[in-house]
Amino acid sequence: MSEPDVSKVLRLFKEEVKVINVGLEYFYKELRKQGVNAAHVIWQPKPELEKDLEDILKKIL
Amino acid sequence: MARVKNIVKTNFFRDSVQLLHLSEEVKKLKGVIDAALAMGTELNKELLEKEGLLTEEGRRASENDMIIAVKAEDSADIHGIIREIEELLTRPAESGETYYYSIESALKALPGANVALVSVPGKYAKDVVMEFINRGIHIHLFSDHVPLEDEIELKKAALEKGVLVMGPEAGTSIINGVALAFANVVDRGPIGIVAAAGTGLQETSVLITRGGSGITQGIGVGGRDVKSPVGGMMTLFSMRALEADENTEVITIVSKPPSPDVQEKIVNLIRDKGRKKYVTCFIGGQEFSIPVELKGRLVQTNTLHAASLESIRFVSNSLYEKALERISLPPEKVAKIVEDELSKLREGQRYVRGLFTGGTLLYESQVIFKEFLGDVWSNTPLNKDFTLPNAWISKEHSVIDLGEEEFTAGRAHPMIDPTIRLQRIVQEAKDPETAVIMLDFVLGYGSHPDPAEAHLSAIKKAKEIASDSGRHLTILAHVVGTERDPQNALEQENKLRKAGVILLPTNALMALVAGMIAKGDSSERTARNFFEKYLVGRR
Repeated sequence: MSEPDVSKVLRLFKEEVKVINVGLEYFYKELRKQGVNAAHVIWQPKPELEKDLEDILKKIL
Repeated sequence: MARVKNIVKTNFFRDSVQLLHLSEEVKKLKGVIDAALAMGTELNKELLEKEGLLTEEGRRASENDMIIAVKAEDSADIHGIIREIEELLTRPAESGETYYYSIESALKALPGANVALVSVPGKYAKDVVMEFINRGIHIHLFSDHVPLEDEIELKKAALEKGVLVMGPEAGTSIINGVALAFANVVDRGPIGIVAAAGTGLQETSVLITRGGSGITQGIGVGGRDVKSPVGGMMTLFSMRALEADENTEVITIVSKPPSPDVQEKIVNLIRDKGRKKYVTCFIGGQEFSIPVELKGRLVQTNTLHAASLESIRFVSNSLYEKALERISLPPEKVAKIVEDELSKLREGQRYVRGLFTGGTLLYESQVIFKEFLGDVWSNTPLNKDFTLPNAWISKEHSVIDLGEEEFTAGRAHPMIDPTIRLQRIVQEAKDPETAVIMLDFVLGYGSHPDPAEAHLSAIKKAKEIASDSGRHLTILAHVVGTERDPQNALEQENKLRKAGVILLPTNALMALVAGMIAKGDSSERTARNFFEKYLVGRR
């Protein structure tokens, strides 16, 4: 196996950390308190469709 | 007189931290004596019952429903209060904050985003994380219950793209000084940490800072990373990155004992590719033989205390001498603390009760107790035969991880919400056989804004319960924090000290003191032997 390329990690170590927060809003607020540039994504589970309904939707969409 | 009212909102979800904050706001409303907003899990219903906040209506709530529980003064306008609560629940996000409904739109709003902090329920994490991996964005994955096969798939994909997947179940990372999830404000310096143990990373980065040095990065990889199925993928990748990082001089690896094959990979990577200095801290692991080529360049330790000091020693010998004074105690001082406490305890007071919020700190304590007390009871014991039949009730020597599932279903983590620990402190004080209560206070971003203050009344009550029965109660605490943390560690320590709590500078020393008290051994020699075995590294 070839050696993994760490260049993207080294770049991160030199850049300003900018964070996309997905999930707990609390963590977004804690990041903002630190003055970190961040954006919060309100995440919700996709509604679970019944199989039949899903098949019909796949056909028509 | 007071009235208690419950309202159940069916199929209504708010996360545990939001509910905690809402509860605090409701308590401030006029006419309200006490209040709690909680999802209707069995645990929450039990706690509401204990607090006298549950009615018949609340009892019928399911875990998908939210319970609004209010205790109000008789004269209060209860309908007005409920209206105000409804308004709080539907209040839009704070002004000036824009939130996004897709990763795509968030990325447009924040060009150049390079880290994603993901805390969605574990079964959904893979899809979310994969989106970031495909875009070349590094991920800190806080979620638990991520299926093992998902973790393996994600980490393989991440290695192909050259990005970090820190987690799942990673409580802590510190990247370029930024605290991700639960982490402290620590100093920058030449030590890079890779940790498969969340509070292990917090304790180590804090001790290194308080010892006078600092860290380049603190990369949390999640506890399962060092086990065979995942094979150390992110541990090894992070080690390679820190090895190539020009600012890192010392690389410190912290975890519970890895699987033997993973431990071998770690040591082999250091031997074959490492040019820097390394400290391993496999807490409670077996001593391994250091390859001859690595003599002088690799030190192995078995406590977070030793790992922090040895990392600093690699930076400079003179700094190490200063660090000893700052974050350790001489053995004679330890023996003196034990002797003083033993002289106050009565016969029959023989048990330790450790109430922990940090899983790694609890684990380390159990490893240390093995030396003095053998196996101890726990909800996460080292030896499965010592699993507490009921985690809510201690037995003989017991150490409790309050961050485990049975205490957190539908509730915020005890580092944020101390309610359960406060009740437990009082409960332990009532037991005439309790000699020592141990408490960890984990500060930093993510944690409660003033945990010491929140504990003061419970500590006072516990001491009173003991003294009313003619007993002394030893309460030990260790604060994982720095002066620059939002809670200010020094202020937190002062508050606790004023309340009669004995502060120890490291978790290992807290466990040592507790272990010696429980064993009734205050000899300096015992302390000295312990220091040699646990608080310095093997070369």
